[in-house]
Amino acid sequence: MAEVAAAETGKPSAPGRGVLGRVKKKRVGIRIDMTPMVDVAFLLLIFFMVTTVFRRPLAMEVNLPEPGAKVEVPESNVMTIYIDRDESMYYKVGKNPIEPITWAELTPTLRAGADANPDLIVLVKISREARYEDMVDMMDTLEDARMERFSLIPMKERDEQALEELK
Amino acid sequence: MARRTRVRIDMTPMVDVAFLLLIFFMSTTQFKPPEPVAVTLPFSQSEIHVPETGTIILTVNQTGQVFISSERGTDIQELSPDNLLEAIVAWRTRNPGAVVVVKGDRDAAFGAMVDLMDALADAKTLRFNLMTDLAKKPASERRAAG
Repeated sequence: MAEVAAAETGKPSAPGRGVLGRVKKKRVGIRIDMTPMVDVAFLLLIFFMVTTVFRRPLAMEVNLPEPGAKVEVPESNVMTIYIDRDESMYYKVGKNPIEPITWAELTPTLRAGADANPDLIVLVKISREARYEDMVDMMDTLEDARMERFSLIPMKERDEQALEELK
Repeated sequence: MARRTRVRIDMTPMVDVAFLLLIFFMSTTQFKPPEPVAVTLPFSQSEIHVPETGTIILTVNQTGQVFISSERGTDIQELSPDNLLEAIVAWRTRNPGAVVVVKGDRDAAFGAMVDLMDALADAKTLRFNLMTDLAKKPASERRAAG
């Protein structure tokens, strides 16, 4: 385009500029500046690329003992926590009678028990009709109280009867 | 002459590609992947991440039904108490290195979870993960508040 215009005027090299400017004004079509649109497009592109990354789920780790492995523990070293089907909680230490306990009292009781007896082992007996959340919350609370070793077992009829008598 | 004309880069192809990608990401973004089985996870303060691939997911729904799948969830199959152990052993043999993740509903009965954990122990899967949502407060505080 420019070359043609220059050739027509017969001035290949010199001032040319005025000539070029004139030609441009007449012939060049409308140009839309796409920069802002492209900016927005890239911004959205980056936003979607970043948010597409999946949120990875979290988990708590469980290590079960070997099946059939038996550990003899004296009864005085055992703290038993019961969670009944109505989610009421009870506990007993050693041969002491069973007492009711609330979630708020649980952590201090666990700490006190561990301080009084460093060999204390926690046995959690949960009713089969209780909820899975009770188990996870109990595991979380025990971990909070630095009780890494505990047993989780479903309640037997004998335990359920013992709890019934308390109510 | 040629040197004097300003260099203009034609941005059209680039913009085309950009918009194509934009449309692709807009249409594929799902803020929550669809779950074959609806499960409300329990809370815990644990911050261990579940691996993204190479997992066997055991889902327990509210009513205590157990499902087994890989992390993709497309190969999901429902299990009954009778074939629970059998299926776990079969899946473990097929993917020996896979991490077992138990994804239980917080309202599932404890009995169903115990049966599942017993089956896992019988299948010599002594290490597994319980999928949870991150809790901001310790369990004792949350439960005390009701």
